[in-house]
This record gives sequence, C-alpha cells and structure tokens, in this order.
Amino acid sequence: MDRFNEGGGRLSHLFEHNGASGRGYSQPEPISPVENLQIPSSLVRAKLPRWPRISEPEMVRHYTWLSNRNFGIDTGFYPLGSCTMKHNPRVNEVIAQLPGIADLHPLQPEHQIQGTLAIFYEMQEMLGICAGMDAVTLQPVAGAQGEFTAIRCIQEYFRTRGELNRTKVIVPDSAHGTNPASASMAGFEIVEIPSQEDGRLDLDALRAVVGEDTAAMMITNPSTLGVFEPEIAEAAAIVHDAGGQMYYDGANFNAILGRTSPGIMGFDAVHYNLHKTFSQPHGGGGPGSGPIGVKSHLAEFLPGPVVDRREVASGDLLTAVNDEWWYHWLEPENSIGKVQQWHGNSGAVIRSWAFYRRYGKDLKTMSEHAVLNANYLRHMIIKEAEENGVSHVFCDGAPVDVVKHEFTLSLAPLKEQKGLGAMDVAKGLLDKGYMAPTVYFPLIVPECMMIEPTETESKEVLDEFAKRFIEVLQEDADVLHNAPVTTNVRRVDEVYAARNLTLSYPFDE
Amino acid sequence: MVDQLPNLGREKEMLTAMGMSSMDDLFADIPESVRMNGELPLRGPQSEEEIIADARRILGANVALGDRVNFLGAGLNRNYVPASVFQLITRGEFLTSYTPYQPEVSQGMLQAMWEFQTLICELVGLEVSNLSVYDASTAAAEAITCSVRVHNRKASQKNTVYVSELTPPARVSVIHNYTQGGGITIKTLRHNSDGTLNLESLAEAAGSCGVYVEQPNPLGILDGGLTSVKEIIGENTAFIVGVSPVSLGLVEAPGNYGADIVVGEGQALGSPITYGGPLYGIFACSKPYLRQMPGRIVGRSIDVDGSEAFCLTLSTREQHIRRHRATSNICTNETLIALMGAMHMSLLGPEGLEKLAQRNMAACQLAKQKLSEIASLNIPHDANTHYNEFVLELPGSASECISYLDTQGVIGGFDLSNWYPENKNWLLVSFSDQTTSTDIDLLVAHLSVWTASMKGVAA
Repeated sequence: MDRFNEGGGRLSHLFEHNGASGRGYSQPEPISPVENLQIPSSLVRAKLPRWPRISEPEMVRHYTWLSNRNFGIDTGFYPLGSCTMKHNPRVNEVIAQLPGIADLHPLQPEHQIQGTLAIFYEMQEMLGICAGMDAVTLQPVAGAQGEFTAIRCIQEYFRTRGELNRTKVIVPDSAHGTNPASASMAGFEIVEIPSQEDGRLDLDALRAVVGEDTAAMMITNPSTLGVFEPEIAEAAAIVHDAGGQMYYDGANFNAILGRTSPGIMGFDAVHYNLHKTFSQPHGGGGPGSGPIGVKSHLAEFLPGPVVDRREVASGDLLTAVNDEWWYHWLEPENSIGKVQQWHGNSGAVIRSWAFYRRYGKDLKTMSEHAVLNANYLRHMIIKEAEENGVSHVFCDGAPVDVVKHEFTLSLAPLKEQKGLGAMDVAKGLLDKGYMAPTVYFPLIVPECMMIEPTETESKEVLDEFAKRFIEVLQEDADVLHNAPVTTNVRRVDEVYAARNLTLSYPFDE
Repeated sequence: MVDQLPNLGREKEMLTAMGMSSMDDLFADIPESVRMNGELPLRGPQSEEEIIADARRILGANVALGDRVNFLGAGLNRNYVPASVFQLITRGEFLTSYTPYQPEVSQGMLQAMWEFQTLICELVGLEVSNLSVYDASTAAAEAITCSVRVHNRKASQKNTVYVSELTPPARVSVIHNYTQGGGITIKTLRHNSDGTLNLESLAEAAGSCGVYVEQPNPLGILDGGLTSVKEIIGENTAFIVGVSPVSLGLVEAPGNYGADIVVGEGQALGSPITYGGPLYGIFACSKPYLRQMPGRIVGRSIDVDGSEAFCLTLSTREQHIRRHRATSNICTNETLIALMGAMHMSLLGPEGLEKLAQRNMAACQLAKQKLSEIASLNIPHDANTHYNEFVLELPGSASECISYLDTQGVIGGFDLSNWYPENKNWLLVSFSDQTTSTDIDLLVAHLSVWTASMKGVAA
C-alpha cells in the first residue's frame, strides 16, 4: 500500500515475523532449576504455539501501523448513533494507571482498599441521584449485562412474591437488540409491540398485550429515534397496573441528565452505560461498564456485594480515606449472586468517576449540550438540503419539533430515486473523512441513518459536516456505489468473508 | 466551570439559528409532570488538577500489591507486562474507536483482533476463537449454554451440564445466573482426596450436553487425568476446559487432548489485575461449535480491488441481528484488553511463553519445597504437580494466619474456607514471575513464627 501513513519498513502480517533471536523482551531466569519441574507426562506440551518471534522495535511499528489504519474519536468526527462517541478526557487514563487502581486484587481485605470503596460508594450515590433510583450496583461490566442483571432481579422479585406466571417481557420494535436478547437469556418470552407511524410508543398496542403474565417492559427514552416518549408516564402506569415492572435501557441516558430521570418517569430499574454517558473509552468494542440502579423494592435482589459505609471507629483510622467514613461490602439480602466473578470493571468505574468529578452538577449542562448539538446538526442538514435542492432525497425518521441527543433520517427516497442506500451514503461519508453514522437501525425506519454528534463537537465541526453530508447526497450514483476510495482498503466484501471463512492466519497457505 | 464543551457560551447563537430562544425550548417535549427542576443535587465541577489530586489522595488509602510481598492469586495473576504494551494502548486510534462496523476505516483493530484470534487458537489448540467475552466466569457460563445448544437434541441427559465441584462459588454463581433461564441443570463432578478429578464420577456425565473442568484446577493442580475425559464422555458431550493461559507454555493445549471448548481468564497475558476488571475472557472452540458460539468474530476477506481486508463476520448469531434468538446478549466485549493481550503474546513469542510459564512454576516449586520443610504445615496435594499455586494446610485457621501475615506486611494468600467452608485451615498461596526467592524466604520465616505460636496456644 502506497500511502504515507501506512509506513515503510514493516511486514504486513504479525505471523510473518520469525526472527531467530526470538523474544520481544528478555526475562530474568526462573528462581529454581527448570529440570525440577515435573509435568505429568500426558500433559507435556508437544509443540509450542506458532506465535511470532518479533523484536520490540518491530512490534511497536506493527501496532503503530495498525493504529494508523483505525479511526477513533481522536481521529475525527464520529457521529455513530446510539453509541455516544464523546471525547475521552485523558486525565481519566492517567488516573486509571495509578498503582492504587491497576495493582489491586479483588480478594484484598476491606482495610487495604478503602480508596476504591470510597470511589465506588460515591459513584453508587451519584448514579442513583441522576437516575432517581434508590440502590445501585457497579458489578455488571457492559450495558447488555446490566440489562440482564436487572431483568434477573425482577425475575427473583416475582419468584419471591410467588408470581410465577409472569413469564413475558414486552419490548417495542424500536428497541436495541440486546433488550430482547437479555430478557430471553433470563428465560422470558419476548412480546414485541409495534411503534406508531411516527415511531413513538403505541399505548394501545401496549394495552393489548399487558396482563397477568407481564413481568416487565423494557424501553429506552428518548427512543432509538432520538425522540422523547411523551406518554412514558402513562405507559408506566399501564404496566404497573397490570403488576409488571418498568425497565429503562440507559443507552440514551446522555440526553436527559438533570432534565428528567427514569425514576421520575416511573421506572423501577435502569442500567447505565459508563462507556457512553460517562466517557469510558470504547476501545474498539470494549471494555464497558453497565451498573444498574433500582427502586427500593428491588434492592435486596441486586448482585452482591455493594458498597456501604459507617462512621469511622477507633482502630479504623490508619487506612481510612478520611476521618468520617469507613467503607465496607454489603451482601444484599436476597441477592441473585454474581454476574461477573469479582466486582465489575473497576478500571472503567474509576475513569467514569474522574469524568463525573469534571462535571459535578453540570452533568445537566453536558446533556443540554448533547441535545443542543443534535438539534443544531439536524437543523443545519435540513437547511443545507433546502438550499441545495436535495430535500427530496431523504426524510425525517420521526417528524418532531425537537429531538434529544440523536436523530434519524430515512434515505428511502434516495434509494427509490437513484438506487443508493444508507450504506452507500455511509461509505461516501468515509471519503469525506468522517466515521459514518449508524445505518439500518432502528429497524423501523427504512434506509435509516442515525446521527449522534455528542456534546464535545464544536459548532464549526457540525456546520462543516452538514455541508459535506449534502455534498455526498449530491454525488453521482456511480461515485457512491464505488465509495470509499480514500480509505486504507476499499469496500469490503462481507459475503466473501462469511462464505470463505478464514478466522485465523493460514500458516499453511 | 466545565472545560469539555466546545460550544459553551455559544448556545444563544446556535439556538437563534434554529429559531429558539432558550435551552428550555430543546426540552419542551418532556411533559411537565416528568421534568426534573432545578440543579442536580451533586457537587460542583472540578478542574483536572483538582481531580488528579483527589484521586491520588483517595486511592492513596489503598494498599497496592506492589507495596507488599504478596501471595494472592486465585485465578488472577500479577505477571509483568512490558512497557510497550501500555504505551501502544494509549494510541487514540485504538482507545477511542467503537466496534468496527465500518471495516474500511477500522482495518487496524480488525486485523489486530484477527491476529488475537490466531494467537489464542494456537495457544489452546483449537480452530476458532472469538475476540473475547467479559471474563473467565462469563466465558465458562457462555460455553455451557453453547454446549447445550449444540448437543441437547441428541443428549440422553437433556439440558444437563456437569461442573467440577472445585469451581469457585462466585464462578458457579455466574454460571447459575446465565443458565437458569434456559432451564439448564448443573450437576457436580466429584474429586478424589488428592485433588484430581474422579473419573468414575465423570462417567455419570456421559450423555449430558457438556462437562466443565479447569486445568490447572482451582487447587493449582495439573491433572493428568483430564487427557482421558473426552474418551469417557464421548462425541456428543462437549468437553469444556478452563485454562490459565500462561501455563500453556509448558502444559499441552487442551485442544490436543480432546477439548471442544477452551475458556479462561486472559488477564495474565497483557493486563494488570485492576481489582478484577476489566479483564478478558478467552472463548475458543472447534468448528462444530462455531455457529452457536457467543460474541464477535473477525474474518479475512477482500475488498473490491481484491486486496486483503478484514471485517466482522457470522453476525447472524448476534443480538443486533437475531435479537431474542441470538446465541448471547453480549454486545460490548473486552477488545482493548484483548489487544493488550495480543501485544504481550507477540512480544513473548513461543519461547518467551515457555519461559514465563517456567518462571511461574519454578517459583511455585521452590515455595513448595521450602514450605514443606516446616513440620507443622501440611501440603495436602503434595504428590501432584502444581502450576503456580497450591494449598497449605495450617495448624490453625487460614483467616487468622492471613491477619497475622498482614501485620507483618505480607499479603499472605487466600482463605479457601471462602470457597470450601469445610476447610477452615486451607490457605491458597500463589506465585508468579514476580515472586523472588527472598519473598518466599520471608513467607517461610513468618509462617514458622506463626505456626510456632499456634503450638504455644495448643500447648
């Protein structure tokens, strides 16, 4: 490849490195004779793995080259809807590498980890306040696991009450795929309800399916169309009247902090995506962190342990964080047990703590700016489209006056007029230097493009993106079918990958 | 004042452009009855330097493992991770990217994860690896549900999987949470008094969907008997092995003795312990399990010019496509930690891995030899080979012993009565490449004093 940032002086594949010297770094010798290590004869490894033999300079260049072939928020605008790709403040990374975080074992006794427990406690309290929930656990390590954990708590709540007939979980057809997947894993039957024409929750459809067999409804608000559900309190009342529980998918929580809360809306349980709202870096797909918050009637079922505190007693002082509080683990009375073996993704929780401290009560301002930016970008795209005469090639995913943190566009007209789909437009945007928005989700919007700018993009970036977006819509069909042309590789054949499965390096090729 | 918002102070300008006059206009769609009014009842914002000062002060109350001589492991390992791993992982192109949905601008992470899959396949001796699940416990749980999906139709023991009775309770609890919804029954496999798997007990598992055991097992034992498991349970029962990945520098890859699925805690390769998270769960399997496995997989493909290119593949197993019929609900995984693992594995190379395993095992071996010289200590599974940890049977309770060692500045190990309540006096001591012979001498000296004091009490 002849691109400047592709770098000369390297091999294309890690496994082509087979230097005679062998090792990327030298290790000290074992502290007792290797001859004395007696491995059962049936277990002696016959052949070492075919790992590369690469020196540190080659290894550093290999991964630097790979990083140059990867697009992150640091590289450019990343308006990936539903993923909240905001800037990741770097001080969070510095803090996460302190030995008082990285070099801790989850089986250390409480008096050796008062600092971590103090931060966990502060995070539990803060998350509870923001969502209007009474109790929080930090254990789930991803949003989907948070969903699953909360649904398990609801399941145990009903078992404890003897309501074994509650076997169904209701999800709108606009829901994230993890919602039905999580509830199904917990053993529930999924009842999907259609949205209204405009994408909003259909209360009549909800009324038609709730009943004595309803365990819960799972919903995100604002919805995946970026639209606030105005009748959410009514929906909660309908579900509650039938004896069910309301679950809030916190994927879109970035839109509402300080303006409303799941608690106020009538929800009983919520998960938070610390890797969305609280800026834990996504890292190419993880790690994340998916704490959950619940109302008091569900608190006894939370996975354990959670952090509690009492006043410092004499004798504690040596390792206490301050002279007021002693922090300790507490096992909820009827805990569902564990969803991760230890105490969750502590590293992500502490990065998110640093993020929270950056904002404090101005988390409200954060959400306001996320919503400001989304509405502004939506406005500018529509305005640019009008001025350039391309308004007819797309329509709003939801015809509303204001959106929340994201919005959807349907490119169905473009498909009809020029045979260009949302994916073609996405690839065209790559050629303009942007990450593409989420495409083909939510499923209820045909040729959907879901755009979430987040609060950390400037007005200039949004103005420019609106212009470039319109330029892409004006491109000739051939150009977009052929896009991208400026990227490290051109359009990748996903069907070929599935039909010619090569899931590891073919050493014998 | 918050310093992370580029449009702070420009709200009016942007609102005016939209024909709005206040931020409240943007939230007019939230009905009054569900609005939160006033400020969030939280503290004020802090500057970066204040945050870092607070972090140092608060986290300074923690005792880091590196501050002490320590023998705590129990499934997590404090191996040395080379500096270049930490340097490279901070590259924003990796750190701040999302799941590679647009492969044309994500080739770097896709190729790195394809290489990770290769490194893991080679390590465990199987054909397929995904690009990580959350940790060893969820990997074990996902392997069990996967085995039921694959084998239930032909199984004579429907919806039944056998799990070693030694499996740590927290891991069993995760397994329970992941399997109860599918109506899966977990039965236990017994062990002999020397800590090895009871092969007669194993015979009961034939006809079930799967068997889950660990190598080394939770007592630190390398169990040679596991090489005959597949023959006993047969083709229609999945043999699932949980591994400590570094040990595979010396120990045969489970795929080479019949394992169908290999899972484990990847952390020792690439990552500090980080208080137990983020970690990364290894999940590898043979081809018959491929289409029922959880999580993301990268495949090699070509672009329109025929150039090599990578992309996510077999996504139809996953929640965003298959929704409630997905093989798992997993979406976010542990890619970045797996990437750290790939970097560490690359630097080690085959001989480096072997040496790292030797260093772990040699430390364990030396400790075993020296501790066996203290007459009042018993090593109950002494006749077996231990990888990097073993059980010490004390003349008093393990929790008291740990408290004593703590007063001497030593993190003494793990009180196994937390896992096996009947064994009040079992201390699990763990070693790593970072253990020095001085550390071991110190442990021996303190245990000599403590055991002598116990004799005094007994007398």
